[in-house]
Amino acid sequence: MRRILGVVAWLVGIAFFFPVAWMVFTSLHSEQAAATNPPDVTAPLTLDGYREFFGASTGASPWPYLINSATASLVSTLLVVILAMLAGYALAIRPVRRWTDALFFFLSTKMLPAVAGLLPIYLISQRIGLLDNVWLMVVLYTAMNLPIAVWMMHSFLREVPVAILEAAALDGARLPTVLRRVILPVAAPGVAATALICFIFSWNEMLFARVLTGVVAGTAPVFLTSFVTSQGLFLSKVCAAATVISVPVLAAGFAAQNKLVQGLSLGAVK
Amino acid sequence: MLFVAPALALIAAFLVFPALWTLYLGVLKYDLAGSNAAAPQFVGLGNYRDALTDPRFANSLLLTVAFVGLSAVLGQNVLGFLLAAVLRDAASWVRGVVNAVVLLAWILPGTVVVFLWQALLDRGGGTLNALLGTPGAAWTLDHPLATIVAFNIWRGTAFSMLLYSAALGAVPRSQLETARTYGAGPLRTLRDVVLPHIRGHVLTNTLLITLWTFNDFAPYMLTGGGPDHRSETLPVYVYRTSIEGGALGYGSAISLIMLIVNLAIALFYLRLLRRRSA
Repeated sequence: MRRILGVVAWLVGIAFFFPVAWMVFTSLHSEQAAATNPPDVTAPLTLDGYREFFGASTGASPWPYLINSATASLVSTLLVVILAMLAGYALAIRPVRRWTDALFFFLSTKMLPAVAGLLPIYLISQRIGLLDNVWLMVVLYTAMNLPIAVWMMHSFLREVPVAILEAAALDGARLPTVLRRVILPVAAPGVAATALICFIFSWNEMLFARVLTGVVAGTAPVFLTSFVTSQGLFLSKVCAAATVISVPVLAAGFAAQNKLVQGLSLGAVK
Repeated sequence: MLFVAPALALIAAFLVFPALWTLYLGVLKYDLAGSNAAAPQFVGLGNYRDALTDPRFANSLLLTVAFVGLSAVLGQNVLGFLLAAVLRDAASWVRGVVNAVVLLAWILPGTVVVFLWQALLDRGGGTLNALLGTPGAAWTLDHPLATIVAFNIWRGTAFSMLLYSAALGAVPRSQLETARTYGAGPLRTLRDVVLPHIRGHVLTNTLLITLWTFNDFAPYMLTGGGPDHRSETLPVYVYRTSIEGGALGYGSAISLIMLIVNLAIALFYLRLLRRRSA
């Protein structure tokens, strides 16, 4: 029984890994080798797919889209961390009155279906001429990630022992000092995890990016969709594109792995 | 309060205000183009009446229930729990590898995984048909609901797995051993020893994956809602009627129905959670 379950776990693992392995392998094959089905695992490896993706022969560069994604994700993550840390600090360490109500309010905004907010935001940005502007995405991603980030920060900051805060207060430390020298060192792993998760969400977001951006502010995931449509026959090149776009979130994801569930289950799991 | 204010202001401006605007749009006959674009007409609950009598809405609601029930409540929950339970006693490097691999599917950008699934399920050149020896099987066309269900299980199981791994760590080994000494089978042990310990985790997990799946837009990327609306879940329906079809008022009304369903689900789970502590 135990052995059978072990085998099943391995099979499930392979089923999960297969598409990703296929992507990486195909990206490293020549277009001819990539076109064989089932894939030829013995084909020689080459970086041509990546060279082609970065425009070796067409001159069309994906860099603007990658830079858009980096801007939208990194700037919004920075803003989210600052704002969520302030709010999380207030709610966790110096509980404001009716703090559970505040927390539930933050969470409840996460229940708005994204597609519902999309229509008004589309109409407003159209009217004030913000469509296809990367800073619109920065602000939207900041707002979208804030509710969950506040919850995560709250759950991580709550773990800072009250005794050391009292000791700091006794020594006459002011708030910026307390934040930087006392709270941050204790809560750093949690803060980092919050930042990484917000980065992943912004980098991966596709619904708003798809509707609100175009040729100027298009993000990498949106670019990939149009790339698949136009270049879909060149499997190696498209797989190289998909791999490049995946690398930042994979790095972030594995860095955050251990704190991921505690964060996303809003502190319900330690 | 000073510290919470900036976050609150941003959320109010970009999440709450749009939601209220959606409420307002929902009572208008308002289209992206045509005479109703220039001068939206007040129709009261007309859009809601239209939705509730529209067979396409009923179909979409039913599909969403099936999608959420099969892929999240059953699929991700059960598979995630089983993986966590099996891996609990596995060597730590095995656990590490399987965790990482399952997590891959969860972390990759949606457009990337959708491309991978489309390439693998492709009728002519897809690897799945080559591996199964079923050349020409059109998975996304013949089995659209099954496709998005399988896709969502693959995509989302990581979260349940990691959460249950953490939860199972809290079940005392001594109790499991006692159960074994008294000759309790795996199902009995599960029901009487494990579940009481992780009930809260099960509820939290089910709530989160239900909400995520209910609002998930990825089915649109995979099947476009088709063929013949057979994979048109509610978010896809809203997108197709309002963004593609231009019926902004009608789409807003449906978004609001979705919002109410979301809140109802959340309240239902909170009730169940409270019952435990009472």
